[in-house]
Amino acid sequence: MIDKSIKILVVDDFPTMRRIVRNLLKELEFLNVDEAEDGAAGIEKLRGGNFGFVVSDWNMPNMDGLTMLQTIRADPELAKLPVLMVTAEAKKENIIAAAQAGANGYVVKPFTAATLEEKITKIFEKLQKEAA
Amino acid sequence: MTHAALEPAEHGNTAEELLGRIGQLTRQLREGLRELGLDKQVAKAAQAIPDARDRLGYIASMTERAAHRALNAIDLAQPLQEDLASNAKGLSRRWDEWFANPVELDHARQLVMDTRGYLQDVPQKAGAINTQLIEILMAQDFQDLTGQVIKKMMEVVNDVETQLLQVLIDNSHLDKHAEKRHEAEASSLQNGPQVVPGNPEAVTGQAQVDDLLESLGF
Repeated sequence: MIDKSIKILVVDDFPTMRRIVRNLLKELEFLNVDEAEDGAAGIEKLRGGNFGFVVSDWNMPNMDGLTMLQTIRADPELAKLPVLMVTAEAKKENIIAAAQAGANGYVVKPFTAATLEEKITKIFEKLQKEAA
Repeated sequence: MTHAALEPAEHGNTAEELLGRIGQLTRQLREGLRELGLDKQVAKAAQAIPDARDRLGYIASMTERAAHRALNAIDLAQPLQEDLASNAKGLSRRWDEWFANPVELDHARQLVMDTRGYLQDVPQKAGAINTQLIEILMAQDFQDLTGQVIKKMMEVVNDVETQLLQVLIDNSHLDKHAEKRHEAEASSLQNGPQVVPGNPEAVTGQAQVDDLLESLGF
């Protein structure tokens, strides 16, 4: 069973997309959700924020999602944090770059509620298997 | 350019002379454009047009799709909503009647059964309405996708503007900055949504993302 009280950070520069993801998470009974408008603000919230999961866009001002992911993986305190990329970037080199940087999942926009649920479930199942 | 060519002819106005004059003017105009660097600027601005057209087409189809999704969801949700309201109204009226004259036991039993049925029906109908609300929510994803494309469009418009302004500011030099910016963009990892389907370097949906990651062992 997934712990639904886990704290989730949604990072996207478009407020509408943050609201969509937040509402979908609520539909999946994840109620402990916070938001950040770019990678830099995201990192700031993540440090000491006790987050258990990150859903991030790629193309953002200040710090993009890939740089944020690399920063997370390079930070001993945050390195193991699961990160799901949700982005309109559909080029194969993007998907490969995200996977190599340590993304736990990649969802291409436009996406469905079912896809988001499936990826989140898959990530948590894999993490539980690894922890067991 | 000299103004000599624009002065009216003092001597005879024969067709031959006129043609010669027009030819001379055309040559001067073409040379003037080349000297100003205008021909290249115009060509560059023209190159931006098909790209801008593709982007506008993408925005038009995404916004149309979103509007249809929302309207379709409303069409599905409204009858469910109306059912809930009218059935509640009907039951409520029957209960009012019974309270006004609480005698007929058989009639009351049927009313209790119907009310029970209604209460069982509500969560299922509310769930179906909620499914449509989620559909309306998801339809709003167009704002992010078209927003990214509009931002790119604004860069293109800005580039064209810069190039045309450059013609006015500096008559003999090309805008090297705009040229460099275009080159840098070509190899970027931040391209936003794919506005034209069929790019072999991009995936067309989530299934292809999953296949690619799986083939790489992720």
